[in-house]
Amino acid sequence: MSDVSTEAAVQAIVARAEERFQQSRQALFASTDRLMAFLMAGQWVFAVALALMVSPWAWAGKTQTVHPHVWAAVVLGLVLSAMPIALAFLRPGWVVTRHVIAAAQMLWSGLLIHLSGGRIETHFHVFGSLGILAGYRDWRVLATATVVVAGEHFVRGIVWPESIYGIPNPEWWRFLEHAFWVVFAVVFLGFLAKRGKQEMRTLAERGAEIEALAEGEWRKASVLSRAAS
Amino acid sequence: MSSSIAVPPPSRRLVSPRVLLAMLVLWAGLVTAGFFALWRYKAASAPVSESGSPAVWPAASGLQPSADRATLVLFAHPKCPCTHASVTELAKLMARLHDRVELRVAIVRPTAVPPDWDDTELVSRATAIPGARVSHDDGGVEAARFGVVASGHVLVFDRGGRRLFSGGITSSRGHEGDSFGLRRIDSLLTVGTADRADAPVFGCAFDEPAKRKEES
Repeated sequence: MSDVSTEAAVQAIVARAEERFQQSRQALFASTDRLMAFLMAGQWVFAVALALMVSPWAWAGKTQTVHPHVWAAVVLGLVLSAMPIALAFLRPGWVVTRHVIAAAQMLWSGLLIHLSGGRIETHFHVFGSLGILAGYRDWRVLATATVVVAGEHFVRGIVWPESIYGIPNPEWWRFLEHAFWVVFAVVFLGFLAKRGKQEMRTLAERGAEIEALAEGEWRKASVLSRAAS
Repeated sequence: MSSSIAVPPPSRRLVSPRVLLAMLVLWAGLVTAGFFALWRYKAASAPVSESGSPAVWPAASGLQPSADRATLVLFAHPKCPCTHASVTELAKLMARLHDRVELRVAIVRPTAVPPDWDDTELVSRATAIPGARVSHDDGGVEAARFGVVASGHVLVFDRGGRRLFSGGITSSRGHEGDSFGLRRIDSLLTVGTADRADAPVFGCAFDEPAKRKEES
């Protein structure tokens, strides 16, 4: 084989590796979007059940009315999940879809914390969600999630600080304490996402090489077959 | 070369980019409005008695103050979901300060309700706090004596019967965690002073809405 044809073959393998990488990445985004759509629906069902279990009624003397938490779970939960679910099925794999899902997932943490009465255990949902979002193997999705958590804390900290810290004038470092654990998780998850992406690329390259070898062998076999006949 | 990895094509024809953008903006607006409404509800404190709580332990009260330490009284509506957070915080507070304060819990029962009306998880949880003395306040007589109109209201009196604190021990409706009230009670019972002797109360009203309207 001449140098020119060797160079062309290498270029073809590189192009094919890139094509395979983009295809598998797109398939990962689309399948993760769909998985997240089911999670969104599941969280809504869970939130409604939680509200009905923990605070079904508001009371004034003997008078009972439907507790606002139930309305929040039904209406706000539905709105929160609706857009990510719609995008996951209308535009699976679209860049906006996964960022909307990341934002919605972190807002779900906030809603569930409220519905559970601020239970410390419910705060674990934030970290569980970051771990799930790392499944996209895209650090930008984790960045969006972090910005949404920080933004929600920032706005609530200004409007209503005692809802986060319990007191109106928390120590200045309290925000950093909350942010630190999220950043701690995101930095390592981001690193793992980057490594996962690199592994996908390596697999795509190996796949392209195997395809090229198989094609070469097939051609050789064809030539030999023709020569024999 | 053929690909073994199937990529589902985006359904671009179903919704145009302009419609999608409008949907996203609408979604963001609705979610923001929803969270603000939720925060507003959670931050709305319960009504307080116009006359306020008495400065000393009411002589006519059937509740017994502690003879050798401070007394903390929680008034609770037995079905109020918000008060679960108050009971959780109270249990933590009592675990820390049980040697400085005795706990009384008054379960406020409206008139003409079945005997098992206040047989609730909240009452069981309050009863389970070590050292708690739980009593039933039929018709809210004791609550009225102490100037309390909403569930989750806590009063702390010193050994001499003087009121040290009156208010709530959660930061918002049914929300566990640190709060003004907890910090102030802790400070009053350990150091003897606090920046204030009150805090907002978050809980269900003892009276019917119609009755409160008539009174006002």
